[in-house]
Amino acid sequence: MASAPSKLYADDVNLVVVLLDTNPFFWSSSSLSFSQSLSHVLAFFNAILTLNQLNQVVVIATGYNSCDYIFDSASDLNRSYENGRMPVMSSSLLQKLEEFLIKDEQLSKEEPDGRIKSSLFSGSLSMALCHIQRVFRSGALHPHPRILCLQGSPDGPEQYVAIMNAIFSAQRSEVPIDSCYIGAQNSAFLQQASYITGGVHHKPQNLDGLFQYLMTIFATDLHSRSFIHLPKPVGVDFRASCFCHKNTIDMGYICCVCLSIFCKQHKKCSTCGGCAGQKKRGQMCDCRLEILHLSP
Amino acid sequence: MPRVKIIAKNFMDMVASLPAIKLDMLYRNQFICEAILRSLPPLAKKYVLQMLYIDAPITCKSLQEWVLADGFSKHNVAIDRLVQLRVFEVTDRKKETTYKLNPTFQTSLRKHLIHGGILPREPMSPNVIAKLPTSEELDAYALEQWECFLLQLISSGQAEKSSSFGSSMMRIFQRGLLRQREKEAPRLTDCGFQFLLMDTNAQLWHVIREYISNSEEQGVDQADLIAFLLELSFHTTSEAYNLDTLTDDQTAMIKDLADLGLVKLQKGSKESWFIPTKLATNLSVSLADTTSRKQGFVVVETNFRIYAYSSSKLHCEILRLFSRVEYQLPNLIVGAITKESLYNAFDNGITAEQIVTFLQQNAHPRVAEKVPSVPENVSDQIRLWESDLKRVEMTPAHFYDEFHSRDVFEAASDFARIHSDLLWEDAKKMHMVVRAEINTLMLEHLHGKNR
Repeated sequence: MASAPSKLYADDVNLVVVLLDTNPFFWSSSSLSFSQSLSHVLAFFNAILTLNQLNQVVVIATGYNSCDYIFDSASDLNRSYENGRMPVMSSSLLQKLEEFLIKDEQLSKEEPDGRIKSSLFSGSLSMALCHIQRVFRSGALHPHPRILCLQGSPDGPEQYVAIMNAIFSAQRSEVPIDSCYIGAQNSAFLQQASYITGGVHHKPQNLDGLFQYLMTIFATDLHSRSFIHLPKPVGVDFRASCFCHKNTIDMGYICCVCLSIFCKQHKKCSTCGGCAGQKKRGQMCDCRLEILHLSP
Repeated sequence: MPRVKIIAKNFMDMVASLPAIKLDMLYRNQFICEAILRSLPPLAKKYVLQMLYIDAPITCKSLQEWVLADGFSKHNVAIDRLVQLRVFEVTDRKKETTYKLNPTFQTSLRKHLIHGGILPREPMSPNVIAKLPTSEELDAYALEQWECFLLQLISSGQAEKSSSFGSSMMRIFQRGLLRQREKEAPRLTDCGFQFLLMDTNAQLWHVIREYISNSEEQGVDQADLIAFLLELSFHTTSEAYNLDTLTDDQTAMIKDLADLGLVKLQKGSKESWFIPTKLATNLSVSLADTTSRKQGFVVVETNFRIYAYSSSKLHCEILRLFSRVEYQLPNLIVGAITKESLYNAFDNGITAEQIVTFLQQNAHPRVAEKVPSVPENVSDQIRLWESDLKRVEMTPAHFYDEFHSRDVFEAASDFARIHSDLLWEDAKKMHMVVRAEINTLMLEHLHGKNR
C-alpha cells in the first residue's frame, strides 16, 4: 500500500492536534514519570506556538475509559493570557488535565482479567479528526492541520476496526498522523497510521531526551518536510485483527463483498449480512486467504 | 532602469546591520528573540530549535546531513540569514567551519520556552479607564489612520485630513516613491507603484524602516526603537497600557505610531494610555517571507470586469492604476481591465506579475477558494499584453564592414564567436554585427592583425 504523497504547502502555519496518552496503567510502569514527560511536552507546545504567531495547538487526552479536550490555544480564554506569558503555562491546562484524570478513574468498572490495558486511542483519534473537519470548514485561511500521537500503551486489538477507519479518513483528508511511541514494545497501529497517512513514526531510544526528539522530528512543519531528513518506516507490522473475536491473526477468511476479516468460517458475514450457500450478497468464499506481511 | 525591490525583509537587514554589541543587548530581551525567530525562513527556525539545547559546536557537514538534496538552496539561504543576524556564531577552523548558537540568544530563548516572558507593562485595570473602544471600533480607527496616511503619502487629492507628520517627514517617507519635476504635480515612480500594490504589512515595515533610519540621524538610538517596536507586537489588542511606563524616546515614537494607526491614544482624568491595534500585533506575522493571510475584496470575472467590495478611497486609487473604474457605489467599485488601462500601468513601471499577484492575494472569499482565484483567461491576457510591449529586444551593438580580405573577416568573426558576442554575420558581403561590450577588444584584435 503506497503512503499518501505529502501536499506542498506555501507557508509553515500549522495546527497540531496532540493525542496525549494518560493511561495510568502504562504510566505507573514506565521509566519516565508522567510529570517529567509533561514538562518535556509543555515546553514542546510552547516551542510550536513560538515558531509562528498563527500556529495553534489542541490537546486531547487519551484515557483508559474516555477521552476529552484538555487545551485549545485558539480559544478565547487562552487568548486573554497572551499578555506576554506563554499561554501553555497557564494553569487551565493542568487543571483540566487533573479533572479529566479524576473523571476517567471514576468510570473504571471491574474488567475481566487478561484484557490488554490499552488506552482509548480510537476515541481520541476520531475526536481529533472531527475537530480538523471543523477547521477545514472554517474557510480558506485555516492553518494546515496534522495529528501527533504521544502513546505508550500497548495496542488494543478490539479497537482495530475503528482505528483503521479513522486512519483511512485521515488519508482521505490528507491529514498526516505522526506518532511518537514511548512504550516498551512496538505499536502496530501507530506504525500503520503514520505509514498510510504519510506521517512520521519514531520510537525514542532515550526517554530523558524526549524534548530533543520532539523538537528535531515532530516540530517539523508540513512545508519543510520535503526538505528535511526524517525517520523512514523500517518495517511496518500490517497484521489485522479478526472482526469476530478481535484477535490478531495472520491467516483468515474474508467476505467477498465487504472484505471483512474473520478467523473462522461463518455462514453469514456479520458486517454486510447474507448467507452462505446461496448466491446472494454476503456469501462467504471457501478460500482461506493469507494476510501477507507487506514490506515497503 | 535598476529596479529597487521594496520588501519587508529590509527591516531585518537593518537589524542585522546593527553592531554586534547592540545586537547582543537586544537579544537579552526574550520578546525580541521570539520576534527574530519568527522572522526567519522555516528551515532556519528548525535549526535554531534543534540546536537550542546543544552546547557543543556543530560542523557544517553535519548540518548539511539534516537536509535532503532538494533543499540545499534553502539550506544555504537559512544559514546565511542566521549568520547575518548573528544568531549563529561561525568559527572557521583549518578544515571545516562550525556553527554554534549565540549564547545570549540561546539563554533568552530557553527561558522563554520554559517559563514564558513577562512584558515590562501590565494592562490597566478597567476601574481606571472610562470606556475602551470595541475591537471593531479599534480596527476601523486603525484602517482610517493608515489609509489617510497612505493617501497623503502618494499626494493624492483624496486625503480628507492630513496627519500630523511634518512635511519634512513626509518627504523622507516619499523618498524613492515619488518624483517631482518642476511645475508638475509629483508623480509616483515605478517603485511607488510597486509599493502601492504590496500588502499592508510590507508597506508598514517600509515606512517604519525609513522612520527609524531618520531618527538615527536625529540622535535617537536605533536599537531602542527597534526593541520597542518588536515588543509592541506582543501586547494584547484592545487593552490599555499606561503612557507612564514609556521612556521619553518611546513616548515621542508612540505619537507618530498613533498617526500611522498602530496604536490609539486616549486620555482619562488623571492618566493617558495607549491601546495597540491589530496593525501593531500583526507586525511579527509579516516579518518572514510567507504569504499574507487577510480577507480580500476583489472579484474578477472572465469578461474582464472587476467588482471590488470596498468603500475605501485607497482601494479605488489602486484599482485605477491598472483598470478603468466605471462606477463607484457606496459599497462597491465596478471597473474593467482594458488594453489601454494596462498599457498605462505598464508605462508606469508595473509588471503583469504584480497585477496578477495583487488580484490573487486580494481575492474575495467567495472566489478565493476556487482554483484559480483569478480566471486563467484574464491572467493570461494580462501577460500577453505585457509581452506585446516586449516583442523587440534591444542589444547595443557595433556594425563592421569593409574588411580587407576574407581571412581577416573570418578571423574576426571567429574571435567574436569565441567570446559568444557575435550577433549576426553575412559571409558574402563580409558584414558583421558584434555586441558593444567586446568592441574595444575587437578593434585591438583587428589592429593586431593589420600589423
